[in-house]
Amino acid sequence: MSDVKILDGNTFVVSDDRGDIEASLTDPTGLFSFDTRYLSKWVLTIDGQRLNPLSVDDLQYFETRFFLVPGTGTVYIDAKLSVIRQRAVGGGFHEELTILNHDQKPADLEVRIEVGSDFADLFEVKDDLKKQGEYYNSVDDGRLLLGYRRDTYVRETWISATAACAIDEHGLTFSVHVEPNHEWTTDLHVTPGRGVGGHSVAQPKYERHAKHARPIMELSLDKWLDEAPRLACDWDPLNRTYQRSLVDLAALRFSPVSLPGHYLPAAGLPWFMTMFGRDSIFTSLQALPFTPELAKTTLLALGMWQGSRTDDFRDEDPGRILHELRFGEMTAFEERPHSPYYGSVDATPLYVVLLDEYERWTGDVKLVKALEHVARAALAWIDDYADLQGNGYIAYKRRNEESGLENQCWKDSWDSISYRDGRLPGFPRATCELQGYAYDAKMRGARLAREVWRDPAYAERLEKEAADLKRRFNRDFWVADGQYYAIALEADGSKVDALASNNGHLLWSGIVDKAKAKAVARHLMSPAMYSGWGVRTLSTDESRYNPIGYHVGTVWPFDSSIVAWGLRRYGFKEEAARIAAGILDAAEFFDGRLPEAFGGYPRELTKYPVQYPTACSPQAWSTGAPLLLLRTMLGLEPIGEHLIVDPALPQGIGRLELLDIPGRWGRVDAFGRGRVDVEKRPRTRLQLGVIQPEKKGGR
Amino acid sequence: MAEPTRDFFTGLAEQHQPLLEGLTGLMRFDLVDGERTEHWYVDIRKGDITVSHSGPEPDCTVTTDLATFEAIVSGKMNAMAALLRGAIEIEGRFALMTAVQRFFGVPRDMPDVPAAGYARRQS
Repeated sequence: MSDVKILDGNTFVVSDDRGDIEASLTDPTGLFSFDTRYLSKWVLTIDGQRLNPLSVDDLQYFETRFFLVPGTGTVYIDAKLSVIRQRAVGGGFHEELTILNHDQKPADLEVRIEVGSDFADLFEVKDDLKKQGEYYNSVDDGRLLLGYRRDTYVRETWISATAACAIDEHGLTFSVHVEPNHEWTTDLHVTPGRGVGGHSVAQPKYERHAKHARPIMELSLDKWLDEAPRLACDWDPLNRTYQRSLVDLAALRFSPVSLPGHYLPAAGLPWFMTMFGRDSIFTSLQALPFTPELAKTTLLALGMWQGSRTDDFRDEDPGRILHELRFGEMTAFEERPHSPYYGSVDATPLYVVLLDEYERWTGDVKLVKALEHVARAALAWIDDYADLQGNGYIAYKRRNEESGLENQCWKDSWDSISYRDGRLPGFPRATCELQGYAYDAKMRGARLAREVWRDPAYAERLEKEAADLKRRFNRDFWVADGQYYAIALEADGSKVDALASNNGHLLWSGIVDKAKAKAVARHLMSPAMYSGWGVRTLSTDESRYNPIGYHVGTVWPFDSSIVAWGLRRYGFKEEAARIAAGILDAAEFFDGRLPEAFGGYPRELTKYPVQYPTACSPQAWSTGAPLLLLRTMLGLEPIGEHLIVDPALPQGIGRLELLDIPGRWGRVDAFGRGRVDVEKRPRTRLQLGVIQPEKKGGR
Repeated sequence: MAEPTRDFFTGLAEQHQPLLEGLTGLMRFDLVDGERTEHWYVDIRKGDITVSHSGPEPDCTVTTDLATFEAIVSGKMNAMAALLRGAIEIEGRFALMTAVQRFFGVPRDMPDVPAAGYARRQS
């Protein structure tokens, strides 16, 4: 039975294709809000019988419609009745239940909705843990209340209907009479009644006077799409991928409690609909030319939660930017450290990178001034708290050994950082891309200090530190016999010498010596790294390489988009275009929705990208990848008050226009023309990254 | 006996707080101590703080018992976790509380060096 998901921010409903919810502690269906399951049972019966699905319409990401008929599920269904459940999420959820009588005679029915809630924490759903509190149910004032209490922790779900019904502690029963060719309908409301802070977590978000409840979300989606730049391209798959990305990004928006009405990108749908330092920052960077307000909210919200204490349980330091914020019971009782948890080392320098990039696009000096202290504290953290090896490099080692994260860089799986021969380094670990981010943060911080904060002495100091870091880095991380940067440095100075996609992030950061850039670019585009679809996380020549290993051989679209940006930064336009071609071709196989990762198999071998199984889709920074690739293909770069356009399009795209790009210039258009006309063969799907046979040379 | 609480509020008001420059709003902390409730009004105006025991209708009210609050300001308890547990209730503008929680559990003797951000690591 397929799962149907709808959501609004961190509130979402997962049900089966009848619209029913029958969750167990380990079965991830239900109504979730603020990381808590508020409804684990929601089962519709008519005269004691379950219904059968005819079809499901996914109307929008926040709205769906189930067409059902009574019956036993045999081939022959003699449906005298049909049932429509139209469900929209917003606050809690709202369901319009309609029963149509197609018979010649009236129908008298008993319609029952059986309800229940286990109030499980998302972490409990993942890890199958037992509850420690008590449940209570009550019926009052035409409303069914489901509750859970553990000490001062209280969560409640309120359920009510517009039509007359009998309510007991386990559900609602309607005695329904429907005339021939008539219909009966009721609205059902499910609201998380008590939540964070002791009050109703959210008011249902609907327009009150509309004939049919129309979620406010839909209005804001229209506005969202309307305000984004318009794309026109003669390679049609890109238009579809672009639309898909915009809609998915809208679904991935999350409004922090502290900033109501403002949205930042959450990490993934539906299990990661919360603020993540790294994911929110990267997605904001990717989406900057399209929706700069995501970056603004990200900067404000992460700034508000910047670390201010030394707290080992949360891996918090003064100045550190958070990794993840959660609201569930286990976080409440400090069985998990996510209140918030600070265990990432890249979010802090990347915060400064985003602040500068945001100002370069938008000219929003006011925000940069308002966040001056946050940015300074973040820059101070790099030197004062992150140098765990005592050698001037950012490194990580968790202080929370119990429930903290062992790997605090984006490649956070246990085996992602290795030597060529497969050995794993010890901790603290200084991965290479972190040094690039630190360099970039200092350089960008210096620009902001000089131009906005009016502190030239600080700017000079940061530039000096950055120059020194770059010099040392190019000496200490460079693997001379391989001509690339080691993936990490151990505390004793040993180079962890595997070749990985992190080299592309180094290009993006600007830390790469000009003289070394060509060799790095050559590696990234070599058959060992570039699969034809994208850049592998780890080279095929390494002993831990595995085409379906999470961070040791798969292709991550997000990663490849950063690599493409890095290649552009060092002038490798054609290489960047080749990566864009591969990723965008792959996107078409996924109907425009790129997965988190796909297999690192060579393109010639599989002909299509092999998806890596993940629970989370769409994922924010995969959704952002096509957006960033549009930027790199068009060569969009804000310089002063202007937007520079310097297109380098892959073969197969003849014309690419991005209209109404927002920024400090108001709105401008960017145009790109292809350099090479590609013959379009009828009845053959045109792919961008397939080199035309006549160009293949001797093969 | 309410030393940590008084220290916290007077410390907050003692100097201009650059971290709160982006904020203006009135908070009231209702600290329940048995039969008695202490009211602390914190008036934030772009980083300048005034603390008093009376005031007009606040933008954000924080209600908790005095013992919980003392544990929080002295760094023994985490405010966000306490909030999720229901040990603290908040009404009104959540952003004010998010901003102020950064000062909980930060030792008073840590030098506030605006140029370098917050305090240095203790060796």
